[in-house]
Amino acid sequence: MTVYGLIDCNSFYCSCQRAFEPRLKRLPVVVLSNNDGCAIARTAEAKGLGIKMGDAWHLIRNERKLSGVQWYSSNYPLYADMSRRVYQVLLEHVPRVEPYSIDEMFLDLTGLPGDLADRCEMIRARVEQITKIPTCVGWGPTKAIAKLANYIAKDRPEMEGLCDLTDELVRMRFYRNLPVSEVWGIGRRLVPRLQGAGIRTIAQFVEADPAQIRKIMAITGVRLQAELRGESCLKLSEIAEQRKGLACTRSFGQPITSYSDMREAIAGFAARAAEKLRAEKMDAGHVSVFIQTNPHRRQDGWYANQAAITCAPTNNALTLIGTSTRLLRAIWRDGFRYAKGGVLLNDLAPAGQQSSLFDQPEEQSPALMDAMDAINRRFGREAIKPLSTGVERAWRPRQGMLSPRFTTGFGEVMEARAW
Amino acid sequence: MSAYAGDRTTGFASPAADAIEGPIDLSDVLDLRRPSRYPVRVRGATFSARGILDGDVLIADTSGQQASGQLVIACAAGQVLLAELQARRGHWWLVSGDDSREPIRVDPAQDVDIWATVTGVVREKP
Repeated sequence: MTVYGLIDCNSFYCSCQRAFEPRLKRLPVVVLSNNDGCAIARTAEAKGLGIKMGDAWHLIRNERKLSGVQWYSSNYPLYADMSRRVYQVLLEHVPRVEPYSIDEMFLDLTGLPGDLADRCEMIRARVEQITKIPTCVGWGPTKAIAKLANYIAKDRPEMEGLCDLTDELVRMRFYRNLPVSEVWGIGRRLVPRLQGAGIRTIAQFVEADPAQIRKIMAITGVRLQAELRGESCLKLSEIAEQRKGLACTRSFGQPITSYSDMREAIAGFAARAAEKLRAEKMDAGHVSVFIQTNPHRRQDGWYANQAAITCAPTNNALTLIGTSTRLLRAIWRDGFRYAKGGVLLNDLAPAGQQSSLFDQPEEQSPALMDAMDAINRRFGREAIKPLSTGVERAWRPRQGMLSPRFTTGFGEVMEARAW
Repeated sequence: MSAYAGDRTTGFASPAADAIEGPIDLSDVLDLRRPSRYPVRVRGATFSARGILDGDVLIADTSGQQASGQLVIACAAGQVLLAELQARRGHWWLVSGDDSREPIRVDPAQDVDIWATVTGVVREKP
């Protein structure tokens, strides 16, 4: 019988910050989204103070009861490296691991010797010892059941971080008592429609007529029913499929009002997107650029537009900056306060394959990009960069509470006092 | 990058062409790709007698077994410390490199934990 596990890191971003700052151990910690906008990760202590996901920092920061909260800007280089460490530890104990998100991984536990609960407990202990990140593990015969088991392990302290849903009778007991909204893939919009059909609990969902479910949520719903009955439909995939599109977009730290600042920002996004393309050895054959004002401040005037063009496949930063800048010029309007912009690349294909006979050979030499990537790998991101991407970058996102990159920047590693 | 490594000579064929090993990679030597390896910068010189100076970068490992006499990275009262670990009277103790300080007993319930053991040291400008 197949057995899938799902291991989920508790308040992952906060736990990464705590790993390197023991003084945070019992303090409420909150990590904010890009631009220090809103809460995206909270420790149990922060949840206990009433901080919700998505709470805007500038609205709650001065509340007296939150004066002890430790706020952090999101430090993605740190989180990516810690996710890599968690993944590697897992691979030492199970043969196949699927990194489903930065903080959740599916495990293939099929046919492993010994007691599964013991093994999962040992895996949790090892992950915590090596990465300092606490986790919960749930397991069962399908991925959807493993996901639900994980939710139960996390939600109920008495489970002590583990939940085994391999037994059908155990499963049915939980199904009868859990709302259908706890099922993986059943989002807020589907819940009222399911309730309208008399489906409130997971048990009711599993027992519902597949024809009815198909009407409400198409074939995915029918598959989900099968998964919850214990018939595996979703397989483990060890890495993400080749992507179809790639984007680099940002909210600006302060609104952009001048064309030259926006040109800098867009050139920066194009350069970053091109760098990601080259890292994946892909070319893009379609470029689009968008800019928009803040939709929540329409009294300041509202404008949003985008432009796109098909081009000869390339991953050259200079070519893509040129194309993006031309697109920006077509959509730019003076007199607005722009809050967000981005560059999206599509029609991705393996690098170096010319798509048609009539494509011009690249004017820009790939050697320059190779050299730029090599220098930046060695001396750090943007050690050299196209000047069009700006120097001062007044528009750059606010990251006022950024911790050091403890594991990826040699000048920023954790410090220990010789005692 | 197509760099010359002692192999692709233009005139006389390199007799070493089949024996290219490349430069020494210190991240391999220090095993930095292991998930349990973390660099930690030392501040202070109380362990200079053991060859650890202010500004050194220690390679700390979080997977290992602890042994008496080993240098460890420890957390005590919310601070990160470099200390010597010693087993005495059935307990682990953090011992200072400076004899004037009393040892601290390792006790996770009192927030005195061992974070990692020290496996190597890197000194940039000796």
